[in-house]
Amino acid sequence: MRIGVLGVGKTPHKIQHNKSLRDLAVESSRLALDDAGLSPSDIQAMYVGNVGSVGFNYENSTGLMVAHHVGVVPAAAVRVEAACGTGAWALHLGCVAILSGLYDTVMVLGCEKMNDLATAEGTSIIAQAADSKEEYFSGLTFPSGTALTARRYMQTYGLTEEDLAHTSVKNHHYGARNPYAHLRFECTVEEVMRSAKVADPLKLYEVCPMTDASSAIVLCREEILRDQPDKPQVYVTASQMATGTWYAASDSLDDAHALFARPAERAYAMAGISADDVDVAEIYNSFAIQEPLGIEGLGFAEQGKGWEGAADGSTWIDGKVGINLSGGLLCKGHPLGATGATQAVDIIEQLRGTAPPDMQRKDAETGISACRGGPGSVGAIHIYQRLEG
Amino acid sequence: MTVSAIEFSRLGPPKLRLYAMRCTSCEALSPWWEHHHCYKCGGGELVEQELAGTGEISNYTVVYYPPRDFLGQEPYVVGHITMDEGVMMPAPVVGVAPEDVSVGTRVKATLRRMKLGHEGDIYYSQKFVVDPERAPAG
Amino acid sequence: MAEIIRYGAYVPRYRAPLGEIQSFFGRPGRPRSKALATPALDEDTLTMAFEASQTALAGGQSPGTLIAVSQSPPFRLRKLASTLARTLGLDGVTPIDLAGNGASLLDGFAIAQAIAAAGGEPTLVVAADHLVSYEERVCDTLSAGASCAYLIGSSGGCATLGASARAAREVYDVWVLGNEPEARYRLEVLFETYGAVAAEALAALEAATERTTGDYAAVCPSQPHPQTLRGLGRVGVAPGQLERTSFVGDIGNLGAASVGVSLALGLDGASSGDALLALGYGGGEAIAQEVTVTGTPTGAGTAEAMADSEAISLSTYYRWTRGRQAEPH
Repeated sequence: MRIGVLGVGKTPHKIQHNKSLRDLAVESSRLALDDAGLSPSDIQAMYVGNVGSVGFNYENSTGLMVAHHVGVVPAAAVRVEAACGTGAWALHLGCVAILSGLYDTVMVLGCEKMNDLATAEGTSIIAQAADSKEEYFSGLTFPSGTALTARRYMQTYGLTEEDLAHTSVKNHHYGARNPYAHLRFECTVEEVMRSAKVADPLKLYEVCPMTDASSAIVLCREEILRDQPDKPQVYVTASQMATGTWYAASDSLDDAHALFARPAERAYAMAGISADDVDVAEIYNSFAIQEPLGIEGLGFAEQGKGWEGAADGSTWIDGKVGINLSGGLLCKGHPLGATGATQAVDIIEQLRGTAPPDMQRKDAETGISACRGGPGSVGAIHIYQRLEG
Repeated sequence: MTVSAIEFSRLGPPKLRLYAMRCTSCEALSPWWEHHHCYKCGGGELVEQELAGTGEISNYTVVYYPPRDFLGQEPYVVGHITMDEGVMMPAPVVGVAPEDVSVGTRVKATLRRMKLGHEGDIYYSQKFVVDPERAPAG
Repeated sequence: MAEIIRYGAYVPRYRAPLGEIQSFFGRPGRPRSKALATPALDEDTLTMAFEASQTALAGGQSPGTLIAVSQSPPFRLRKLASTLARTLGLDGVTPIDLAGNGASLLDGFAIAQAIAAAGGEPTLVVAADHLVSYEERVCDTLSAGASCAYLIGSSGGCATLGASARAAREVYDVWVLGNEPEARYRLEVLFETYGAVAAEALAALEAATERTTGDYAAVCPSQPHPQTLRGLGRVGVAPGQLERTSFVGDIGNLGAASVGVSLALGLDGASSGDALLALGYGGGEAIAQEVTVTGTPTGAGTAEAMADSEAISLSTYYRWTRGRQAEPH
């Protein structure tokens, strides 16, 4: 499988009271179209990832609304929703659309405008991405559900809170260098430990902020990109999706591991590579504990050892594999529907060599993005490769 | 988190009693919300089984930033309660300071309000309190 | 003969600072209660009724009838007894709601006695209230919350329900204006009427039992206000008889649960052979009920539960009670 990446674009990830959901979507789409050298009329289909516009913005039919404002009408357009895995699912559908042969050029766009509401309202809307009717009746939230996973992980593998704090330190090191990141400051283990408690054992610096942003990718048939050798030759070479447990109470550490491990195994086979070939990875980490879980699921470390790389340097920019060199969700923020698309854009920039200097992994050729959604419900793996010649 | 009064009447009865769902194929117990599918064996028939209401905390967290419906109750403890019948239920643990909660603490179910619905409907459900009769020594 | 088989009382552990509330509203004088027993944000009449009922049903006997007494929201249109029965798993029980005032628990006792006399299954009589007052009215009504539950049957109990007597006047010591969501209290009328009808009821009970008021080991009264307890002194109740059964000066007015919580305190500390006097008062009516301890009560730990308390702030009190007067159902 080879899907050409013609163009990418992303808005700054931050609180943007001066911009609406449609403003953000248009901004990212125009950047991607400019990068691709295309106009809206060249787009044959559009996959718009958005999770919560009904709650956050009181508007529905986001795919149709975005299609209108981007100007792709009368191209096909649809909204995609799969909890926090939404943007990755939009990317998957874009790949499937190209692979099917039905379309030559499509746009994948993720967008979310979360900060028009107070935090408690937003938290309630986010909780609807899990089992809001039944399990979340017990007062669970995404942070507290994940905190239970963190505590179980720490008990099982003998971690301390300080051990886990290294993950935030690494992410903030790179987030401080990412001009598109929401939180741009470095922190120490001590500062992570001192930050406010959100849900024991997770603290504020181990939790992503609510963010307004949009990211877009223009995909095309392999031949179209191959015929433009002056363009960066970056391709999506694997796209694999999976479902997992819908209830946090049922989500064991093995389930959390399998959520990425199963689709990753298929994705590596699809791309014809192994975990050892990966140079850079963007791994979903709306909460710090999810990064080591993802590292293990992708095969970069054994179960229970995924946290070590942030402490010993092996997941930093010049380590064995550079993980979340964008700062991850912990620093970029987590604009729900945009996140999967942003992960893709960040990896593509790494492979193109256009990431900001202090974030750019030298000679990155192969990258992977791993996005998840719901309590443990969506696992989305994409592999990207720079394939010159 | 918001449901209508009609939904409440549908969801309400299970909240007034504590029970699990038992798979008629493999006998495994699942939390009360599993009406359609056994997570263990894939069986499609689950029936109610009342629980004694006692168990122990197998995992827990303290919520400092609650969703809208739980505003005013923070900080509150949410635990994974492993019931004596073996099934695990997530539920708040109340009447105890967060620092006094630990894994292994014996608890028993009680009835509490969870929230007030937007149509004025009151949501009740089981929370857990430390079981004084079976609390660990010391 | 009807007997109390088992009983329970539940007093929420949180204590609101009545003195601060009084200062906040600029009300002169000392507060009439040290604190107010305040249900938590996640408690109400149903949850408190559930707590007390669980204790009363811990012996394993199932009632055939459940009588619920309350004057508090949230249950008005819906039946508290029906919902409570479902929470307790009492399938098939006959649920009855009694309009709640401070004496209604003893009305429930009367019905339970009749059912027992007819050979029926035990009756669970439950009273639960969460009184809430707007603004400074709390300084008069001392509004608080609690519950109690009594399982009453024909045998196997720890105390027998003996004779009862009642007296009533048509007065307006408590009433609700048509456009107001909560009751108004006229304290001087309450004090006067409480004393007067209590005296009449006690006299009638004395005539029926040939036992004087002073003969009871303990008197367990409704206690909407400390002044009503002082009034009992004028009708023959000695301070010692109220020593372990009075609480209004510590935790406030428990409404319909008041007499039942007081009786639980009396039973907790009683010995076999002791005679207790339950005195309910509400809405101008007093009911005097003789209770004779025949065994060793299981004990509800009522006094200990009352002592296990935690102070809450003024702001917490208003956050927890805001809007509770007008809740639906």
